[in-house]
Amino acid sequence: MTAASPAQSRPRQRGAAALVRHARRYWQLWVMAAPAIAFVAVFAYVPMYGLQLAFREFDFSAGLTGGEFVGLKYFQQFFDSPQFWTLIRNTVVISLTTLVAGFVAPIALALIVNQVVGRTRKKFLQTATYLPHFISIVVIVGMLQVFLSPSSGLITRVAEFFGVTGVNFLGSSTFVSVYVISEVWQHCGWNSIIYLAALASVDTQLYEAARIDGAGRFTIIRHIDVPALVPTMIVLLILNMGNVLNTGFEKIFLMQNPLNLGVSEVIATYVYKIGILSNQFSYGTAIGLFNTLINFTFLVVTNQVAKRVSNTSLW
Amino acid sequence: MSRAGQFRRRAVPALAALTVGALALAACSGGGDGDGDGGGGGGDGTLQILALKHPLTGAMADMAWVGQIEEAAGVTIEWEEVSADWDQKKPTMLAAGDIPDLIVGTNAITNGDLATFNGLFEDLSDDLESLPNVTGMFEAVPATESMATQPEGEIFSLPSYRRFWPETGTRQFINQQWLDNLGLEQPTTWDELHEVLLAFKTQDANGNGDPNDEIPMDWAPVGETGFGLFQPTVLLGSMGMPISDGGGAGYFVEDGEVKNFLIDERYRDLIAFLHELYADGLISQDVMTQDYSAYQSVARGEGDTARVGFTWGWAGSDRVGAQLVGQYSALPPLRADESMSEADLTWSYDSYMLNYGVNSITMSAQSDNKEAALAVINAFYDQDISLEVLWGDFDENITKVDDTSYEVLPPTDETVDPSTWKWTTTLADNGPGWIRDDIDVVLPSDLAEAVEQSQPLEAAIANVDPDADIFPGQLIKMSQEDLNTISINNTAVFTIAMQRWATWITEGGVESGWDGYVAEVGGSGLAQNIEIHQSYYDEFSSSQG
Amino acid sequence: MMRLSFLRTRSPGDIAFTIGLVIVCAVILFVTLYPIYFVMIASISDATMVATGRVWVWPQNISLFGYEQILEDGRIWTGYRNTIIYTVVGTAVNLLVTLPAAYALSRREFRPRRVLMFFFAFTMFFNGGLIPMYLLLRDLSLLDNWLVFILPSAVNVYNLIIARAFFENSLPEELYEAATIDGATYFQFFARMAVPLSMAIISVIGLYYLVQHWNDFFTGLVFVRTYDKQPLQIVLRDILISNQAFSGGAGGSGGSGGGSYAQQYADQIKYGVIVVSTLPVIILYPFMQRYFEKGVMIGSVKG
Repeated sequence: MTAASPAQSRPRQRGAAALVRHARRYWQLWVMAAPAIAFVAVFAYVPMYGLQLAFREFDFSAGLTGGEFVGLKYFQQFFDSPQFWTLIRNTVVISLTTLVAGFVAPIALALIVNQVVGRTRKKFLQTATYLPHFISIVVIVGMLQVFLSPSSGLITRVAEFFGVTGVNFLGSSTFVSVYVISEVWQHCGWNSIIYLAALASVDTQLYEAARIDGAGRFTIIRHIDVPALVPTMIVLLILNMGNVLNTGFEKIFLMQNPLNLGVSEVIATYVYKIGILSNQFSYGTAIGLFNTLINFTFLVVTNQVAKRVSNTSLW
Repeated sequence: MSRAGQFRRRAVPALAALTVGALALAACSGGGDGDGDGGGGGGDGTLQILALKHPLTGAMADMAWVGQIEEAAGVTIEWEEVSADWDQKKPTMLAAGDIPDLIVGTNAITNGDLATFNGLFEDLSDDLESLPNVTGMFEAVPATESMATQPEGEIFSLPSYRRFWPETGTRQFINQQWLDNLGLEQPTTWDELHEVLLAFKTQDANGNGDPNDEIPMDWAPVGETGFGLFQPTVLLGSMGMPISDGGGAGYFVEDGEVKNFLIDERYRDLIAFLHELYADGLISQDVMTQDYSAYQSVARGEGDTARVGFTWGWAGSDRVGAQLVGQYSALPPLRADESMSEADLTWSYDSYMLNYGVNSITMSAQSDNKEAALAVINAFYDQDISLEVLWGDFDENITKVDDTSYEVLPPTDETVDPSTWKWTTTLADNGPGWIRDDIDVVLPSDLAEAVEQSQPLEAAIANVDPDADIFPGQLIKMSQEDLNTISINNTAVFTIAMQRWATWITEGGVESGWDGYVAEVGGSGLAQNIEIHQSYYDEFSSSQG
Repeated sequence: MMRLSFLRTRSPGDIAFTIGLVIVCAVILFVTLYPIYFVMIASISDATMVATGRVWVWPQNISLFGYEQILEDGRIWTGYRNTIIYTVVGTAVNLLVTLPAAYALSRREFRPRRVLMFFFAFTMFFNGGLIPMYLLLRDLSLLDNWLVFILPSAVNVYNLIIARAFFENSLPEELYEAATIDGATYFQFFARMAVPLSMAIISVIGLYYLVQHWNDFFTGLVFVRTYDKQPLQIVLRDILISNQAFSGGAGGSGGSGGGSYAQQYADQIKYGVIVVSTLPVIILYPFMQRYFEKGVMIGSVKG
């Protein structure tokens, strides 16, 4: 923060003239961006002072920023917690698996839907796959309970038919798979919309030309469809990489049971139990900030790699 | 905290635009519709009350007793009604200091909140002269005063007293018809229970021709943060261990020493016994993973065919449904083995939890209309209004026979059971109130049933001395620091403990894993928690004289 | 007519591909539609039978009890009205704010864009938490004000980034050059070329925003105190969540074991809520699909 003053004063003379030139040329772009900048400044940057709670005791009578400064005490408390490594491991396993499966599946689905010939059929398939997105988490978890029940669940019975017996799909060994598969099932169709939109912008003449050249349908997919998706894929991949320590909260929380607790306790549920249910505002903020820093680091690194490799980047 | 330094030169135009934009935005949003003043009361004869309701409960405006309270206090009440996600709504509201004049609802504001948000709630200890009903309750039921009073003597919240609830929440049921079908006696020990359950399992106890559809034993889902009602922790009483609130976080007292059953060998023996049953296929396969709906639904069987043999629940008709309730008997406590004497048996003592509601009403320290708020609190503890808050309005739901006798009426909607009816029509157990010990009330049938089915357990409950055997968590207020330590430790302890509980019962291994487990939970903070509890207990018992 | 030309040029490889495709699509359809079908039959079946795994193919003991309960609840209509207002106004504001910004940030010659993108992306990760947000909204008089559903969520950075990427990658640079030769300004190019050519992404972003508003219950939960202003999701959540009220260990519900009677009623409502709350959004979708049809963009360029 102290670096600000020399950096500002040095180029003042040249800067003024450049500024005028810049304004004359780009004022319209500034006007277009201004409302978004203003909203983000007010509603995202103004409240950011709350982050200092991670370094202070929460003291209600002294106000949000008036508590005693305790430095990294709460970070230390988290690192020293007997659950720290379990939480990190569980969180990374769940989020990475979700990230990979959740990234690939919508692309595949979009490519498949795009192959379907006939408007009605295509629309039907699209609409069908997009429906599950709207089922609320409470009901999804309720359905998982009914479908996976070891005594009466439909999926358990199907598994038994294929010779898989004695597995409690709601227990710990299958927790991650059940979570990830149901996530993919629920959001795959919805997340493929963006790719379908990208495919819609492919010039149909390209297909005609390829067909005349005698290209098979896999060749067409590989050489026309996939390249059309690459820019979107990269942007989404960068954004997803910024979520390595993020998992949904509510679904995992509702799916928890004593059997799977060893693999289902993640940072988000821990923060809920610690921070929200017992007013540990400082501790909760510190864990959140730790999470954010790791995520942000991943995003920045991925972004730099993407910039170098593919010339696509967020900034 | 300015981040402008990172942006260097290019940030200048950005910041300029930002400032302009922010000003413009502030200017236009300033003209909102103006009634956004969330809390603090209007000071013009209206009082804002937040009520934590059951999701079934209808609008506050439809309750006639609300009018009586308004009249008694001379105010108009503006209700803010919350029935879902209070845990998420509350912290922000409290931390921002933005609370209405009164907050109503059992434990809506917890001891932790009272300790953390020092200064947010009105100290009622110097307002007691305006609260004659409350001082009356403190005198008649001294436990309510302990529940209300902070270590330093302040009173930030008031409890409710319901009087008529049974002393335990968990009743034990066995399918008598199955026993009769198979010519068996009611079990009295764990071994006998084991044999009976085996017979249920193998001999088509319900006689429908399918020998595999019987679930000999089932219990309520155990959460991840502790034990509760309708769970097998009540069997700890078979070995004479006094437990309360269905188990809770595991604390109990023996010879003046606070202990936790999570590291007690009797708990280990219980797990070993339950594993034997599970290994024989006598416990529902779903027991560790089902949700409450499934647990309740499966016991309702199909038509007249019951599916569950031995279980725990609130009351028979609630647990297995009206159609099957006739098949079941309420079963007395079991002894762990023949060597246990009947006189040493115990059962979960839940009276503090059932007959009292801690922190059922709190008042804002910033209330503009303090007198009215106090008058409303006092009105809630009025003899008649207390009954109406609990069971519904006079005439419609309660008949007032004379000044000291009342009768709770059956639901006017015949398709609804009395309990659901109560939750639909009024705040019920969520409301503050004081049910006098010297009045007569004809109880609704659901409560009467629970009281009746508690009878086989009464001797065992009487073996628990609430003053000497249980940790009186509801009567003790801890400091913020201790509450924080306990809750952080508990999160770690229960993550380990509940997982072991589940795996040991389903897969076995408790004998070999026990010592390592005891060391692990002890080191994760349980030892520290027990110490903290002990110091509060010592202080509490010396103050009780 | 497209299909006919296909038929004529079918090779054995194409036929195998088509068969494979049909099988894959059939599996996808079954896997997605069966659970949806399950929600429908569960919403009209006996809750006890649903919970014990006896409802799989046909509804059992059909009753419309759940729907009656939901629709009888007067609050639901207020909730619907509010949600529609918040969604329509909110999405309009979102698009008006996001699209121009995304376009500005997509211009490669606009040097400050890197800093600006960082300025935006930073907020996807770092936020001050709920309490300062609450205090800010209180200072701006937005608490318990319907604008709280619109203004704080006016920009979703994720959507901004996606829209920007689309503008950057899908609008041919030659178009802009040609337009500038004709003397077009940024404003004009954006309004006359960029927007019409990007209907696919605009409809996607619009849909994202729309659904975000439709499903938003957190804003209402934390920042709105008056029930008249609550959106549909809060009303439905109140009905839905009752299922959870007793399951988290019976000790949690204030010690009233008797409340579990109410459980059965709540269960019946659970599945119906999904149907009632999502039907409108589902109906909307096919109307947006036309923008995903091939050739929309190219056609408009030529036309």
